[in-house]
Amino acid sequence: MQPKITAKARCADREVGRISKVIVDPLSHEVSHVVVKEANGQGYERQVPVREIQQVVNEEEILLRCTAADFQQFPVLKRDEYVTIKDVEIAHLEDRLHVEPGEVLVPFPKLERDVPRRTFFANMTQAIGALIALPLVYPVLKYLMKPMYRPFDNSWFSVGNVQKIKKEGIGYQFKFIRGLKEAFMPEQKIEKNVWVVKATPEIQQAVYGGKDKKFYDEKGNVIWVNKATAPYIGYSGKCPHLGCGYKWRRTKNFPDGVFLCPCHLSIYDAAGRVLDGPAPRPLDVLPMKVDAAGEIKVIDIEYKAGVKDQIRLL
Amino acid sequence: MNGKADIAEKSLFEKVVDFVDERVGLKTIQAKMLNEPVPGGSRWAYVFGSCLLFIFIMQAITGILLMFYYVPSTDHAYASTQYIIHEVDYGWFLLSYHFWGSSAMVVMVYAHMSQVFLWGAYKKPRELIWLVGLALFGLVMAFGFTGYLLPWDQRAYWATVVGVEIMDKTPLIGDFLSRFLKGGPTPGQMTLSRFFVIHVMILPAALMGLAGLHLFLFRKAGPAGPFRGTPEELKAKTDYFFPRQVWKDIVAMATVFLIVCTLAFIEPVTLLEEATPDPGDYHPEPEWYFLFLFQMLRLKVFSGEFGQFLGAVAIPGAFLAFLAALPFIDRSPERNIFKRPVALIGWIVVMTGILVFTVSAIINREFLE
Repeated sequence: MQPKITAKARCADREVGRISKVIVDPLSHEVSHVVVKEANGQGYERQVPVREIQQVVNEEEILLRCTAADFQQFPVLKRDEYVTIKDVEIAHLEDRLHVEPGEVLVPFPKLERDVPRRTFFANMTQAIGALIALPLVYPVLKYLMKPMYRPFDNSWFSVGNVQKIKKEGIGYQFKFIRGLKEAFMPEQKIEKNVWVVKATPEIQQAVYGGKDKKFYDEKGNVIWVNKATAPYIGYSGKCPHLGCGYKWRRTKNFPDGVFLCPCHLSIYDAAGRVLDGPAPRPLDVLPMKVDAAGEIKVIDIEYKAGVKDQIRLL
Repeated sequence: MNGKADIAEKSLFEKVVDFVDERVGLKTIQAKMLNEPVPGGSRWAYVFGSCLLFIFIMQAITGILLMFYYVPSTDHAYASTQYIIHEVDYGWFLLSYHFWGSSAMVVMVYAHMSQVFLWGAYKKPRELIWLVGLALFGLVMAFGFTGYLLPWDQRAYWATVVGVEIMDKTPLIGDFLSRFLKGGPTPGQMTLSRFFVIHVMILPAALMGLAGLHLFLFRKAGPAGPFRGTPEELKAKTDYFFPRQVWKDIVAMATVFLIVCTLAFIEPVTLLEEATPDPGDYHPEPEWYFLFLFQMLRLKVFSGEFGQFLGAVAIPGAFLAFLAALPFIDRSPERNIFKRPVALIGWIVVMTGILVFTVSAIINREFLE
């Protein structure tokens, strides 16, 4: 039971006053003192620690341990050392504290007393909300997905002449410019590159394993076949690890030269085989043809990086 | 009290304030906002959260200003950014402030999370604040990643190429996710459009919402206070959020502001060549706060398809999942970091790990030259 504010405070010998305020500990959220306004004398408000309450007789009355004379010794409340709980933000205080002068009631509207009806309206609100939102999901998804899957581009690009390559077994980079038409944008010229190696029989064997390599479009039709005996091999400039651009480098450990990707330090030999580093598969061989004049043409295929198998993206 | 005389003495301003207060409850709101007891008193250790809010506001302001000139298209993004740097009055400064502000944001996020972790402030009843905070951490990283592409130079392009390839390694949804972000099989205009709208609309809205929730939950639970001291000691040192904590906060904000301005002056943003799928002589590298992840992926243990999944997705994912589960795993009410040896050692190991990997990535640069 909790005494009300305005409850009488009695000592063993006589009544001394009424509770006028309570003081709360902001850390423990417990009531630490009651403030008792003296019934007679100066009418001082005195701060009585809760441990001095011997018994809560009922909501209207509390019994203190002390005598009426001792009561006079409790300190007078210094109001300016306190603030009301409306003036501060103390988390969860309301949940713990129930010092109300009794229950305060307001009428419960008649229409709200019918629980099944309330539930019906609540459910209908949810249902109509869903009816608005759900039909939008598919169109929005399709709207956002429009450019995600594009047909492959199987056109040939001229990248340079094989006469530039003087030596077998080293990587030679050809840069080329290709047009790219994207959605509403005017066609843009973008720079790309392809690495071409004049193959030794050993490299041809390592790349093709004696078998011609077929290239496919999205329907699975063969679009080109690289002959296993072709003297030149072209690699996509995109590192199969995570898609950076690699370089041909001579290093201390590989004085003859290797393909080295500066991003995550994958190293490949002239046949595209992974020698070191995190790459999951060899360099990607591109469909390539060399005409009588030595002009190299490639299909600018891109494969997904970071996976064991070649998954064509472009 | 003489009511009439009282009214007569009020200035027009006070009357307006009273008018609004009567309808809005302004004074109560102000009291509730500012008069929050800080157990154990205000401290410099509590400034990081406020600093984050300050940095975010400055990023929003400078970001909006940059949008006055920036054009998010592959044929104009680079030129418009160069225009901001070289032609527009103080454009170089606003862009550089925005650039360094993003680094400040990441540093401050680490500081804030570390403080909360070391003080054991993620524990009951503050689990949800911690979870929302982790989501905010994700948003900050996403801000950095998407903003990096917008200048459309080589640095921007290649960080995005590699970053999206990493997301591609997420099981099941990876391919969809990376195509969705790129708006196609390879990066281009659609990627720039998507990163732009994510950077300037979706992430700011998400951040404002979640930061609001973060603060609401924080106020609901109340400040945790120091991790040691008896209730009497804490009570004796208690003060309100305003003015002592607010004072410390504003001093910290001013310091951050000065540092970011200084960095913008000393090291203003310069662009590399315009983006193109041929990296030329550029060695792709992400922004410094992603360097440790980048360096980690160079390790031999993370080679091959599975290794890559492990390094790029599984380990970072598992670490974040662990952080999310932390308040539910670590249920001991002990908050004193000196009595939580596992937590202290764990924090030191993680921080040292990030530092070592970042530094070794920087050292590796020399090796590549």
